[in-house]
Amino acid sequence: MSVFRVSYRYANSLIQLADDKKIVKKISDDAELIYNTLSSSKELRAVLKSPVVKLGEKKNVMEKIFAKKISPESLSFINFVIEKNREDILFEIFKEFLALVDKKNNVIRTKVISAVDFNDKLKQKLIADLEKKTKKTIIADYSINANLIGGFIVRLEDTVYDASVKNQLRLLRKKFSEEINISKN
Amino acid sequence: MAEIRPDEVSAILRKQLAGFENETDIYEVGTVLQVGDGIARVYGLSKVMASELVEFPNNVTGMVLNLDEDSVGCVLFGESSLIKEGDTVKRTSRVASFPVGEKLLGRVVNPLGEPVDGKGTVQFDKYMPIERKALGVIQRQPVKEPLQTGITAIDAMIPIGRGQRELIIGDRQTGKTAVAIDAIINQKYTHTEEAKKYGVNPVYCVYVAIGQKNSTIAQVVAKLEEAGAMEYTTVVAAPASTPAPLQYIAPYSGSTLGEFFRDNGKHALVIYDDLSKQAVAYRELSLLLRRPPGREAYPGDVFYLHSRLLERASKLSDELGGGSLTALPIIETQQGDVSAYIPTNVISITDGQIYLEPNLFNSGVRPAINVGISVSRVGGNAQIKAMKKVAGSLKLDLAQYRELEAFAKFGSDLDKATLSTLAKGARLVELLKQGQYAPSPVENQVLSVFIGTNNYFESIEVKDVKRFEKEFLEYVDLKYPQILENIKVSKTLEDDTVQMIKKAVDEFIGKFKKS
Repeated sequence: MSVFRVSYRYANSLIQLADDKKIVKKISDDAELIYNTLSSSKELRAVLKSPVVKLGEKKNVMEKIFAKKISPESLSFINFVIEKNREDILFEIFKEFLALVDKKNNVIRTKVISAVDFNDKLKQKLIADLEKKTKKTIIADYSINANLIGGFIVRLEDTVYDASVKNQLRLLRKKFSEEINISKN
Repeated sequence: MAEIRPDEVSAILRKQLAGFENETDIYEVGTVLQVGDGIARVYGLSKVMASELVEFPNNVTGMVLNLDEDSVGCVLFGESSLIKEGDTVKRTSRVASFPVGEKLLGRVVNPLGEPVDGKGTVQFDKYMPIERKALGVIQRQPVKEPLQTGITAIDAMIPIGRGQRELIIGDRQTGKTAVAIDAIINQKYTHTEEAKKYGVNPVYCVYVAIGQKNSTIAQVVAKLEEAGAMEYTTVVAAPASTPAPLQYIAPYSGSTLGEFFRDNGKHALVIYDDLSKQAVAYRELSLLLRRPPGREAYPGDVFYLHSRLLERASKLSDELGGGSLTALPIIETQQGDVSAYIPTNVISITDGQIYLEPNLFNSGVRPAINVGISVSRVGGNAQIKAMKKVAGSLKLDLAQYRELEAFAKFGSDLDKATLSTLAKGARLVELLKQGQYAPSPVENQVLSVFIGTNNYFESIEVKDVKRFEKEFLEYVDLKYPQILENIKVSKTLEDDTVQMIKKAVDEFIGKFKKS
């Protein structure tokens, strides 16, 4: 079975469990912590993926790292995953879980890349506009790329709204080269 | 050199800029997860369609073939080394399509419709998707008009009708391409004013070269140009150096162009040279996409690969304009093995096959058509009546000859009847030999076959047969042009025409100088 399917199954059961116990907020905070830890530590991911390290040791490691910082439910979930020999996709499971939480809370995470820094007023206006368009809560991640020359790019899931000067110039170049080709004949 | 005024330039620039609107560009993207061997797996592109074109960086395009749960499998039409993990992929919202229009005639293009002949941009009317569903029963009518290939052996015994699918099959170096090229060259006549007068509609040709050497394609194009056949022909070239996905879509592109002519009430002839290489290209990309292999490692849908292509050949009903699309697929066999997977598939799909044999080719029978096992399942209805009448006994005579051929070495020990059958057969075989790039018009074919089957060659040596035929045709053209005119106009062989032919042959035999 594909990694995607397996991780979806585990994540889905975790969110249902959290929902039943009404601790979604707590678990999702834990999940974010675990996800961030895993994505920042290559060594930890390597340990989890390694077939050489014994299951008991993996459990020990995870317990020592997270025991004091996360809820017992989250910890027992990690143990459960390790027992089922799926610790190699723990990272993907939490990634999927966070996506499911976002979906449940009607949240979309976007990336906004701009040539210059946005002031708060502009940011608010952008988010308000996007929320109006998507009818969902928007959480934006801002970054600056001077290569754009001017304007900005918003990426909403798979759709890109490109209002950068760089792209305008690219389109203009394309248009000119097309028209010149036609007039040559 | 013409002068360019600066104000003119700025006027043009201003005009172009006027149409340019400063709008937010909205597009959908994905990210390359994995790339290699001409295949890319892409994350994202959640709304992409199957067989949609997608844009990769560095001007590489690709086509979506697999839609999986968490990723999309694309084939690349360019170098996979130009793409790396993490690159952005853009949707084009356009399924793989091919530009169509009359302006494509005379051009050499790749399967995406981009020119490869250095004659500038291709002008076209519109884009049509390369994968189109074949027509149903209601839109069709039986094949009823002949498509003259100009090769006497084919037009007399294995006739091809407009809208038919006739397979050309044989080993390497047996003249498969030569037959196809002759068929294209012979369509030149259909574009003349004279043909219009006799009610013959023009046939537009598409030659699809798949997995061939660039030098071979250049040779074919040069030959077509020399014969003046490029005026009504488009060459779709996917040479051996192009990536497998392009070779895979090439026949569909050619078929789309043919359908454009067909749907406008015109007639098209599409040659797929050759489909065994297309099947190999498809096998390559199927295996790379991890589709399970079947017999000879071809994927399970390799039959559908060819059947959906060849089903697009059709003769439209009169309500839809009566256009037609004739397909001449070519299959190369290995060591004459027609029972391999791909040959049996294509044989069963097509309406007949022209079988070319290396033995015949090497013994000087060219075109090396084995008339014994070559058939045409529908073309007979499409033959002109005159040809049908004279060719009736031809196939029978040749069959008898082949049966007795083994006894030929006994020479004089044979009885008279056998000897005469052998003599007639040898002369008929000689008569059906024909040079390359020398297609012969149908009225000449009728005359040749007539004198052959009516045993006028009895007194002529085998080595003189071709010369006799040539000189006789010249004689008729000079002295009795009425015969040729009659056949062309009525398309039948009336009794008075037969009498005239008989008179002409009798006269000519007396004048013929034996060598």
